[in-house]
Amino acid sequence: MAPILEIRSVVKRFGGVAAVNGVSLALEPGRIYGLIGPNGSGKTTLFNCITGVDQADEGEILFKGRRIDGLKPHQIFHLGMGRTFQVIRVFPELTALENLLVVTTAGYAEAERRARELLALVKLERLAGEFAGNLSYGQQKLVEFIRVLMTDPEMILLDEPAAGVNRTLLNELLDAVRRLRDQGKTVLLVEHDMKVVMGLCETVFVLDHGEKLAEGAPGVIQADERVIEAYFGR
Amino acid sequence: MKRWFPVALAVLAAGLALYPLQATGYGIRVMLQLFMWIALAQSWNLISGLTGYVSFGHVVFFGTGAYASSILIVMLGWAWPLACLGGGVVAAGLAFLIGWPCLRLKGPYFAIATLGLNEVMRVVVSYYEGLTGGGNGLSLPTLDASVEIYYAMGLVAAAVTAVTYVIVTSRFGLRLMTIREDEVAAEAMGIDTLRYKLYAFLLSAAAPGIVGGLSARDQGYIEPLSVFPLIMTITMIVMALFGGKGTIWGPVLGAAVLFAFQEVVWARFIYLHQLLFGAIIVGVVLLMPRGILGVLQQKYNLPRTI
Amino acid sequence: MGVLITPSMIGQVVISGLLAGSLYAMVALGLGLIFGVMRVLNVAHGPLLMMGAYTTFGLFQWIGLNPYLSLLVSMPLLFLVGVALQRFLVRRVVDAPELSSLLLTFGVSIALVNLAQLAFTSDLRSVEYLTGSFVVGPFAISKPRLATCGFAIAITLGAFVFLRSTRLGKAIRAVSQSREVAQVCGIDVQRIHLITFGLGSALAAAGGSLVAVMVAIQPEMGQVYTFKSFLVIVLGGAGNYPGALLGGLLLGLVEQMASLFLTSQVNEAVAYVLLVVVLLIRPTGLLKGRV
Repeated sequence: MAPILEIRSVVKRFGGVAAVNGVSLALEPGRIYGLIGPNGSGKTTLFNCITGVDQADEGEILFKGRRIDGLKPHQIFHLGMGRTFQVIRVFPELTALENLLVVTTAGYAEAERRARELLALVKLERLAGEFAGNLSYGQQKLVEFIRVLMTDPEMILLDEPAAGVNRTLLNELLDAVRRLRDQGKTVLLVEHDMKVVMGLCETVFVLDHGEKLAEGAPGVIQADERVIEAYFGR
Repeated sequence: MKRWFPVALAVLAAGLALYPLQATGYGIRVMLQLFMWIALAQSWNLISGLTGYVSFGHVVFFGTGAYASSILIVMLGWAWPLACLGGGVVAAGLAFLIGWPCLRLKGPYFAIATLGLNEVMRVVVSYYEGLTGGGNGLSLPTLDASVEIYYAMGLVAAAVTAVTYVIVTSRFGLRLMTIREDEVAAEAMGIDTLRYKLYAFLLSAAAPGIVGGLSARDQGYIEPLSVFPLIMTITMIVMALFGGKGTIWGPVLGAAVLFAFQEVVWARFIYLHQLLFGAIIVGVVLLMPRGILGVLQQKYNLPRTI
Repeated sequence: MGVLITPSMIGQVVISGLLAGSLYAMVALGLGLIFGVMRVLNVAHGPLLMMGAYTTFGLFQWIGLNPYLSLLVSMPLLFLVGVALQRFLVRRVVDAPELSSLLLTFGVSIALVNLAQLAFTSDLRSVEYLTGSFVVGPFAISKPRLATCGFAIAITLGAFVFLRSTRLGKAIRAVSQSREVAQVCGIDVQRIHLITFGLGSALAAAGGSLVAVMVAIQPEMGQVYTFKSFLVIVLGGAGNYPGALLGGLLLGLVEQMASLFLTSQVNEAVAYVLLVVVLLIRPTGLLKGRV
């Protein structure tokens, strides 16, 4: 099966430092992938390169067989890839419903129907008219999550979905992610919480100092000495 | 709330329409100017209030419209209503020329880029002396059309307010606001921010262009200093900020209040004008950044259509 | 324009360009510091320069003080003004959306201009101190420009030494790279903000004092410097302090080169066109910076 996302020898430099130094990955559709690594390993930079927030200096990124490095974020979004952010980025002065409505270009009636559907999915329908800025942290996190789903993207990138979230909400999110995978979507998440990664992801990539250190099933990664050393050794 | 507002509005509109019948020439001029300020403040609000991209050089569209329409009248013999619309079109064209490169900048950078705009236009006007009369200015054929221009200005003010209403209540407007809220997230959510900013910028330039033409027609004479004054941009900004940027009626309120204030204070403290406005801007930013209507909106949970 | 461009004309342009550019670099460094440390685009930068110019004018007029000595007055004076502005006004909007600090400094800038109009009227003033040029071979080097360049270079180098070697300077650089990390390292960020704003203002004032000898002084004289300083930051890359130096020199060169082909009126538009061109090609600046 052709990979849905391919990263070929991507390099991204800031000043003299290579934050991402020749990373290559391939993601098969319909699976949940994890991207981990100690602080400064280049995870977020790689994420940003994939989604068009940053431009890779070298290498290629292909989504569904088509080059997306060099495209702007909104173009990549319309190709079928959505993302969430590490720091929640809902639109505070828009209501929860409006946050969802702005995303899709579908007709208003259809967009509203889908938006309310998604809100109901995460049990936030009664807060549809509330300004997103007034919602609790957890509620904002959910809104950001379903916002990504408005256009039914084929691939979803989650940037630290577990950050600052309580256990109950976290389990709801993880269940939602598994359901997305069952629907055939591909998920790539950056995460620090090892329990989440090990419990959720089918394949894990490990980055260290901008390079790919290891790749494999969670159990294998956990036992890999190089990974252990990267996190705790130095 | 919803019941009496349109009625009150209709009554006001009727009153304003009948006003010239028994007002003095001076009175008409005053109201005409008020309409002009409403149109200007409202236009500035379209770009700066909704998208958060502050334009510090907005008077450039006023001046461009003034020159474009005056040239159309003087050189091509156009009737002034058409010429003023032409002024609006030219102003929008200028907005495209400037916006296409400059709106790629992040908000504050764009703002400073607009600072230099005024100077450039003054240089351009001086350079094309043959067309614009350069420093000597341009004289229009004498015409006493204050009443007609009063109505025209009023129409433009009403139109811009109506356009603002339509935008704010539409998804287009919501998307403009996402640019203000979080441009990075907006881009990530598939919104082509450059395109939306450009639309807003073009829209925000049209009315000042038309109004510039009308003002020029009314004055009968224009020169670079009179149509590109920095104080005009400042006044637009203060009015919109004070009344409530990002709201629909905020600029109208701000224009009305500050125009009245200006008429009263102007005579006595001309030399403090800029200082006072500067102080008001600082005060608004520190104490009520959302302006009067914005504060009321928050306090009483009013809908966005205020 | 059928003018033959001779090598000596090019040489003249290069010299004039570098002389002018050094001033731009110094003033832009002031703006760049404030932006780098606080993420505040100080629209009032030009008016601060203007205040430096009037300080020099005033001292020259009333006690006949050598304009170049007046630097010792204008720089500390405007340093204090900058600190006051930061302490009472700018500080409250440092953490607000950038829009707020922009509008705030805009309000301050127009207020300052009006104050100058009240104090000095809009009449053009000048400081007749140094005129004429040295003639070196085929080149004419304007004396005031040379003096300005000399002082600007000295002050700018001083600023760089300060930033590189002193503890305070390093603290400023630390805060401009990451406020959180600097705080964790025990740096008093509030204090750094105060000092940086003061420093930026002092550099602007120095620019004002130096140009006072060369150009007509009037309340609105600063606006063009705000814009050009900003242009230099864009050219050099925001947050890239040495970049400001190169950007300033580049601006000076481009302006002088354009003056070969264009009338002096149109010259003012050159800076603007340059900005637009650079923005279209490399919005993040010609050198690597952190926009």
